[in-house]
Amino acid sequence: MDSAIRLRRVTKTFGGMRAVDNLHLTVPAGGLYGFIGPNGAGKTTTIRMIMSILFPDSGEIQVLGRRSALSAKDRIGYLPEERGLYRKMKVRPFLRYMGRLKGVDGSGLDRRISGWLERVGLPGIESKRCDELSKGMSQKVQFVSAVLHEPELLILDEPFSGLDPVSMRMLRGLILEEHARGTTVLFSTHVMPQAEEICENVVMVHKGQKVLDDSVPDIRSRFDPRSIQFEPLDPGADTRMLAAMPEVEEIGEGERGLEILLRTGTDPAAAMRRIMAAVPAARIELSRPRLEDVFIGLVSDSASADDADGLRAQLRDAATTGATA
Amino acid sequence: MKRILQIAQRDFIAVAMTKGFIIGLLIFPLILVLSGTLLPRLFMDTGYQVEGRYAIIDPTEVVQPELSLALDPDTIAERRLERRRGALEELPDMVRDVAQIETEQDLLELLGPLPNVRLVELSPDADVEAEKAWLNGETDGLGHTALILIHDDAVQAQGAEGEYGSYDLFVVPNLDDRDLGFIHNSVRDAIITARVARQSLDRDAIEAVLQVSRPAATTVSQDGEQRALPELNALLPVAFLLLLVMGIMTGSGTMLTSMIEEKSSRVVEVLLSAVSPMELMAGKLLGGVAISLVTMVLYLGAGLVALVSFSMFGLLDPWLILYLMIFFLIGFFVIGSLMLAVGGAVNEVSEAQQLQMPLMLVVMAPWLLWPVISRDPNSTLAIVASFLPPINPFGMVLRMASTQPPPTWQVWLSIGVGAASVVGAVWLAAKVFRIGLLMHGKPPNLMTLLRWVRMS
Repeated sequence: MDSAIRLRRVTKTFGGMRAVDNLHLTVPAGGLYGFIGPNGAGKTTTIRMIMSILFPDSGEIQVLGRRSALSAKDRIGYLPEERGLYRKMKVRPFLRYMGRLKGVDGSGLDRRISGWLERVGLPGIESKRCDELSKGMSQKVQFVSAVLHEPELLILDEPFSGLDPVSMRMLRGLILEEHARGTTVLFSTHVMPQAEEICENVVMVHKGQKVLDDSVPDIRSRFDPRSIQFEPLDPGADTRMLAAMPEVEEIGEGERGLEILLRTGTDPAAAMRRIMAAVPAARIELSRPRLEDVFIGLVSDSASADDADGLRAQLRDAATTGATA
Repeated sequence: MKRILQIAQRDFIAVAMTKGFIIGLLIFPLILVLSGTLLPRLFMDTGYQVEGRYAIIDPTEVVQPELSLALDPDTIAERRLERRRGALEELPDMVRDVAQIETEQDLLELLGPLPNVRLVELSPDADVEAEKAWLNGETDGLGHTALILIHDDAVQAQGAEGEYGSYDLFVVPNLDDRDLGFIHNSVRDAIITARVARQSLDRDAIEAVLQVSRPAATTVSQDGEQRALPELNALLPVAFLLLLVMGIMTGSGTMLTSMIEEKSSRVVEVLLSAVSPMELMAGKLLGGVAISLVTMVLYLGAGLVALVSFSMFGLLDPWLILYLMIFFLIGFFVIGSLMLAVGGAVNEVSEAQQLQMPLMLVVMAPWLLWPVISRDPNSTLAIVASFLPPINPFGMVLRMASTQPPPTWQVWLSIGVGAASVVGAVWLAAKVFRIGLLMHGKPPNLMTLLRWVRMS
């Protein structure tokens, strides 16, 4: 498969700080990639370099087969993190202006604008001035300006920030529709559950370095915690016999009941049947690895305990504020 | 190129189609017209009337009758008309139309009300000290204003050297200087008339002998003859300088504010998704120059129409207009590109003020140089100013519009220097612009901008 984006040994330094450090990244054509990491990980800098808004100190970047995005800007849709609209301009003239800059001309442009505004739930706002729009409406108009020219590659930097849950759901649907149309999508977020829900592949960065680049199913299988969450039907039931089972390695206290860690190679389904046979269950489920835990696990080797706790708190905050859709 | 033109078109429409811009464009000529028509009327003493009673002690007994005649309203009216009749004939038709002066009566009305003065004749041997009390005495409506004491020898010269005497004047406190001037002129006129009569001479004949009218010079050129207007020679450099500065600052100023608005509203990175920073800068410069050109063409056109209306177009060398446009473009791209870089580097208009200061000094410099260059357009300072970027467009235009224009090779050398300065300024601005566009937070200072130039 051809690659839509290809980065080789890309490094970018600001003053004494290395924002992106020897980054390799390949996004195949038609892929749906999440670019995740905490704030300050280097996501926006990388995206700006992909867009040729910034230039790397070293390394190579190829976008849609070109050495620079400058020669392929008409084929790329970009929604930057720092985004806005001309306050005094009306919505249709703004979208027309952006469409023309992206090489769409003629009467077809107006039809596309009307069609897209319908799709994002904003029919009839064409003649409104941009400073009359709510934040959510502005975000949608900005998204329309990024996809109006039907790009082959769509790069979205923190696309969900500032959106209410309903708008988030709508935008998620639109991104998936664009992907289904064959568009390569790369979107960055520091809200990991969002990436988990949408992406086929995830690239994790931390302090400018890539720490993980894999498909979501592969990540789940690689980082399977092999644990079962178990809540007995009778809260006073004796659960000590569970620890004696050959499939069980360790039993600990979970948030709501027990956290049962299975031995390597154990069939989770068979283990769950045996546990339920031993102690009647009110709830039993296989734990799924969360990207947040995977990320913390990956960076905790190089980070101090305090750093890891700080990261976890930051990611939790982001998840609670951003992943309510 | 298409994208650059699209950016230029948007920026031009966003500015030129606003009410503020159109009103701003019209306000300047409106102020000029108002200054030319209303202000002279406002400042003219048309409403003030000299009035009062003047007491005179005249031992010669010949000045008083002359003064009495001189203060007669009909005599005053005739004297006023005589003084201004020549000026009235020289007024261009358009000015006469605007000022609505068709007859001598119109001119008289324009000059304001005639003085209302009464002369009180005192005894030739009256005691001056005693009569001074009259000045502050009771009046019957018309105030006591002045006591005039004519010297014994005011009319007949006395002494070995044959010197004439004069007069003493005593007035009430806080007398307006227009009253004082009127009294002096009237007494002087009366004494002269008395002296001339004593010599048995004809005053009209003497004045006719002394009168040599001063004709307007006629300019003779290959295109024909035309009345010379020294005022135009003095005004032309200022008018050209004003056009140049206004043209440059209109476009540069709007570019600066529009760039800051795009940055503060975070629309700039959205634009960078479609165009490169250099395309954005080029588009903005083109949009800015179009705005400036509209201003220049409008004002220049209005100026030319005025010259044609006053039949003075022939006094202006058409090549000057071409050179003015060339130096305007040089000035615009040097100052405009640096202004744009400042706009790209800051987040708010207030932050731009510190960085704008050096550029504002460049625009102010020609106003400081103007008196020096006008007086001597070929002085060392004038020559240096016309070659030193970034002020060379202003310096050279001032010299070219002066009465001693520089040789053509100097003009083209200055254009060459200007073109090189455009390349340098755009190069410098581009480096600052590219980095500054994405910088938010603490506003940069000049040192930061220089660091950006080295970085990029």
